[in-house]
Amino acid sequence: MAAVIRHAVAEGLVVLRERAAVSLILALVLGVPIALAGVGLTLHRWLGPVADLSGQKSSVAVLLHPKLEPGERRRWIAGLSTDHPDWTVSEVSSGELAERLQRWFPYLGDLMESGDATLPPLIEILTDNPDSVTELRDRSEVLAVGPRSSIQQTLGQVARRLALIVGVISFVLLAGSILLAAVWVHLELYRHADEVTIMRLVGATEGTVRGPFLVAVAIPGLVAGVLSVVGTVATVSGLSKLSSALGMSAMTIPPSVLVLQLTTAVILPLLAAVITFARHAADATES
Amino acid sequence: MIRLRSVSKEYERRTILDALDLQVDAGEFVFLTGPSGAGKTTLLRLLYAAERPTEGEVWVAGRRIDEMGRKRLPLLRRKIGVIFQDFKLLRRKTVLENITFVLRIHGIAPREAHRRAMKVLRRLGLQHRQAAFPDALSGGEQQRVAIARALAYQPRLILADEPTGNLDADLASELLSLLCDINYQGATVLVATHDHAILESIPARTLVLHQGQIHYDGMWPP
Repeated sequence: MAAVIRHAVAEGLVVLRERAAVSLILALVLGVPIALAGVGLTLHRWLGPVADLSGQKSSVAVLLHPKLEPGERRRWIAGLSTDHPDWTVSEVSSGELAERLQRWFPYLGDLMESGDATLPPLIEILTDNPDSVTELRDRSEVLAVGPRSSIQQTLGQVARRLALIVGVISFVLLAGSILLAAVWVHLELYRHADEVTIMRLVGATEGTVRGPFLVAVAIPGLVAGVLSVVGTVATVSGLSKLSSALGMSAMTIPPSVLVLQLTTAVILPLLAAVITFARHAADATES
Repeated sequence: MIRLRSVSKEYERRTILDALDLQVDAGEFVFLTGPSGAGKTTLLRLLYAAERPTEGEVWVAGRRIDEMGRKRLPLLRRKIGVIFQDFKLLRRKTVLENITFVLRIHGIAPREAHRRAMKVLRRLGLQHRQAAFPDALSGGEQQRVAIARALAYQPRLILADEPTGNLDADLASELLSLLCDINYQGATVLVATHDHAILESIPARTLVLHQGQIHYDGMWPP
């Protein structure tokens, strides 16, 4: 096994050296959409708690009276769900409410952390008909009812459109890069057809034969992964500075996004190479 | 070691081998001869599973190979040393690497592979060309590298397709004595040639192929 891997790496590097320009283009074409997708995912996560990203139903915030006992509150909320089966009622914890306030008003952070601020209980009602929620204003348990602020809805719309544009661009570029990887492997397979034939005739296993080609696409994939991570970190860092300057909270990239970027960058071209090999290896060689 | 049962091979409705029956026992030295187009190369290709017969059964080293799956072929081919008519050397590897590469895919450690490769190169008088690439070698030298590669891992069966085609008389005779040595050590050797001088140089079982059938099976000259 070690010999197969050593052979694959050595021969794969030879293929890469011979086709340095193509490998670099592949790394860039693959890295850019993955970086875009990473920035998009990070923005989505950042905007998630404050913007209406669902885009399906309206979410109406209902602020309850702070003196409402917890037991009484739970019963009242349960009653709402029974009376209005088309509403999805969810309680926003005081911790999450504090986090949302801090996101938009970072200078409230000290007040929130000191525990001096008593936040009223908040519930959110997801419905197709937000006007139907306004009737709750007259109830004694309710302090205030309001649709989500217009900035949230606008942000949600912008975020959805942005996600769609980024998604489409990423998909097109990713599809292009996979196609490029597949075509490259196909051409290399024909260019090295004699070698592949000889290797098979002298008893090389398919792993030994395919290894160099897989390494030759996995390395640009890895480079693309690193490029996309660097691109995402740089872009998010720039956006984060901008948001801080506007008095909003800083953005952080979830580690899962970075792992996903690296994995996607390596696996996609590998998959393209494996499929190409499976489809064309028999036609390209005589054994 | 080799058994063919009613083997036929057709290319585009042209019969190359016609219901051929053949048995070669382990340890035998056999010449395969016949005019050009008689089917010598096709028969050898069937034996290392580069081709499948149109009809019939091909058995090598106790295994039926005409039905063998692609995944099991490498193991079979590691038991066979093939000396190809067109050498089939890896152009981007040196003489030494062409041989160590095959030894490495047989699972031999790098140091031992290097030792064995040097030993076989010395035996074929190629040690001074170990760092050369195949394109820099003469036809005879390329032929000897192909032979060295086939012999390096001491296979149980050696199939040689016109192995002396590019060698002068002295080297051809040296190669034949090398193949005889290997045969003496227990390997089965099947040499395809149309050179009658070679057939006469060693008394051995000779198969004469003509129009896809074995016309003569016995010692040469008849």
